[in-house]
Amino acid sequence: MEPKFNLNRPPIGDDEINSKKDFGELVKKFKSESIEKARSDSNFLKNKKITYSTIIAGAVVVCNVTYFAVFKSNPPKIESNEKTITLNQTVTNKATSQIKKIQSPIKKIDVPYQSYKLNAQKGGVITHHTNSKIKVPKNAFINKKGEEIIGDVEIKYRELHNQTDILASGIPLKYDSAGISFNFESAGMFDIKGIQNNEPIYIKKDKTITVEFASKDTTDHFNQYIFDTLAHNWVYLKRDNPLKIVNQNKGILNTSDKEPNPKITALEKELNLIPPKIEKEKQNTEQKISQIKKPKAPIKPNKPIEGREQFELDVDYKDFPELEPYKNALFEVGTENKNLSKDLSSVVWNSAIISEGPKKGQNYILTLKYKDRTEKLIVYPTLTGKDYDEASKQFEKKYSDYKQLLAKKEAEEEKLKAEFEQKMVEYAKEEKRLKQEITQEQIRLQRARAQQMEESFASVNNRVKVNRVFQISTFNIYNSDCPHSIPKGEVINPIFVSKEKKSAIVPEIVYLVCHSKNMILQYGNEPLKYNPNDSYSICIIKNNQIMLCSKEEFSNSVSKGKFTLTSINKEIDNINELKQLIGI
Amino acid sequence: MLLSAANMEYTTRYHHTAEQLDYEKNLIEAAKENPENFGPLYNKYYKQIFGYVYQRMDCKDTAFDLTAQVFLKALTNIGKYEYKGVPFASWLYRIAHSEVMQLFRNQKNAKTINADISDLKNICEEVEEQYMEEYKGIMMQMIKELPEDELHLIEMRFFEKRPFKEIAEILNITENNAKVKMYRILERVKKRLISKHKK
Repeated sequence: MEPKFNLNRPPIGDDEINSKKDFGELVKKFKSESIEKARSDSNFLKNKKITYSTIIAGAVVVCNVTYFAVFKSNPPKIESNEKTITLNQTVTNKATSQIKKIQSPIKKIDVPYQSYKLNAQKGGVITHHTNSKIKVPKNAFINKKGEEIIGDVEIKYRELHNQTDILASGIPLKYDSAGISFNFESAGMFDIKGIQNNEPIYIKKDKTITVEFASKDTTDHFNQYIFDTLAHNWVYLKRDNPLKIVNQNKGILNTSDKEPNPKITALEKELNLIPPKIEKEKQNTEQKISQIKKPKAPIKPNKPIEGREQFELDVDYKDFPELEPYKNALFEVGTENKNLSKDLSSVVWNSAIISEGPKKGQNYILTLKYKDRTEKLIVYPTLTGKDYDEASKQFEKKYSDYKQLLAKKEAEEEKLKAEFEQKMVEYAKEEKRLKQEITQEQIRLQRARAQQMEESFASVNNRVKVNRVFQISTFNIYNSDCPHSIPKGEVINPIFVSKEKKSAIVPEIVYLVCHSKNMILQYGNEPLKYNPNDSYSICIIKNNQIMLCSKEEFSNSVSKGKFTLTSINKEIDNINELKQLIGI
Repeated sequence: MLLSAANMEYTTRYHHTAEQLDYEKNLIEAAKENPENFGPLYNKYYKQIFGYVYQRMDCKDTAFDLTAQVFLKALTNIGKYEYKGVPFASWLYRIAHSEVMQLFRNQKNAKTINADISDLKNICEEVEEQYMEEYKGIMMQMIKELPEDELHLIEMRFFEKRPFKEIAEILNITENNAKVKMYRILERVKKRLISKHKK
């Protein structure tokens, strides 16, 4: 048979093609085929004694085996014999094997419960650190047998306020209403449990606990929901009418940067001690240097200059030991003497006294007296002939000794100076270290103050909170949320790549964290639908690894659909650190 | 004979860089471990495989059903898939071809050839003949009469505008072999057109 020939057939649009794409259906068919295959296994029905009911039971077993063999990763955790608390019912003792337990994807980031003790007979009001109040009436609890609880009970309570809290807790934010899927924008959730002696307790049929949930979101477009553990879906309770409250207790924190910081003060004190230490060190060194005895330079003998006046004097060498080599010296009048009297040599002077001259050890002052006349002359000792030769020899020897002593003195001085310089280097290092520490501390303080300031402003902003009042008749998870349709703006088939290993990642769950609303979109292996007007970051949890694609990276990568994820496991130890990294 | 139709715009979706191939290999391995991980491959190739299937038939719904069948087969047999350094698409195309052929065996009237006038012009250009309106009927008839394997080649080359490398990988033959086969088909087309022209 000849084929039909179409010329210029109109093409089919992408929207129509994409509308038929259904990976979930494909997997469903695959599972059902696997089950069929298992059922039709020829060995299965070999035993003809198997009854019809056994076949069904057997088939279920085989189906389960097949299912778990094929879907190795993360089979849903089934918890048997757990008590189910269903709606409009205080206690349901019906055992169920279908409850999916709410579980944090990674334990260390889970939102911790706060534990409160309360006397069951007296009841009371519990105030959570967020200012939420749990009002428990008297005699409100019973045990699994329906018997009234006596004594202390433990109320475990936790609140989830933002996207990170919700992600970390593992509580789903998808809401299925009459077959239509929605995502919740949250004004906050709480999870409350009652325990006595490690056994769950239940709220009596005619009693209710009032939870005044302190919410930061003051808007009034939210509804109250309770989580149905059986259907793993949220159930609408009522419209949420928030009650505004003003918290006047919290003031703005003192953010003054003039407040002395003890660490900086101590460091500055240490720093200020350095200049006096340096000064003292300098004085010590100078003192030590000055204490080194300076050798006395020997006087070089001189010969008299012809034509100059000379005096022969009887000198007491005890007074002038440096003149010892100048025995038989002639004291020659120096050229610095001006307007000399011409009769100097002709006068017979009554006395002639020498004293130290302006150039110590080199010249002398000769004071000549005759009656009332006094002449003062600067004179130099001179030698002639053998005396000069002998004195020169002595001078050479003494000069050599002098040079040695001088070198020794200089060496000692250099040593002391070097020691001083070394100490100066150490002081400079210490000064630098202290200055750095001060700068670091100042930066840290500035940051802390900035954060404090931010928190203070936040505190001011948060002063006006609202109470969302829940009347609860069962321990469970409650929320005040607003359902939003699954975004239709953009659809991407994402590719995820590990930044460290450069390899592809096939995530089990993709959390699209919306930064514009308090909302988190959860996807499996399916195209990501998002609103291009909102900002997002991506968080993937696989094999106990948390991987993150930041808000900035998301915005840069979204057009290509290829997201590079950074493993942040090592960087985080608790939920607060995760919050910081996600940027919430 | 040109065998490289200068005016033809080739589809480039098939071509993969080494990095893309490496990434795809990882996706395949992940899908082998857990069928739920098949999602990215499904999303990536759905449109291409649907296009391939729909190119060969008239009924859109049948094409969608058959496409679903192709992916179900692929998912069922992913464990047997062996990476050979070519895009995963070539394996999907082979499954698609086999499914399409099976359908034609069951429903003889399902087979349809879909082409544009520009595709026929491209064939003329390939055989260095000026396209004329009277060629349209001859060419359509000739194409209809082609044996299945030759028609498959013409469809992929001229109607789907695939490069020879891609055709060779889908048919699991060498590129040269694909060219030789195409040359022989086009030679026959040329002869037929020339004889018509002479008449």
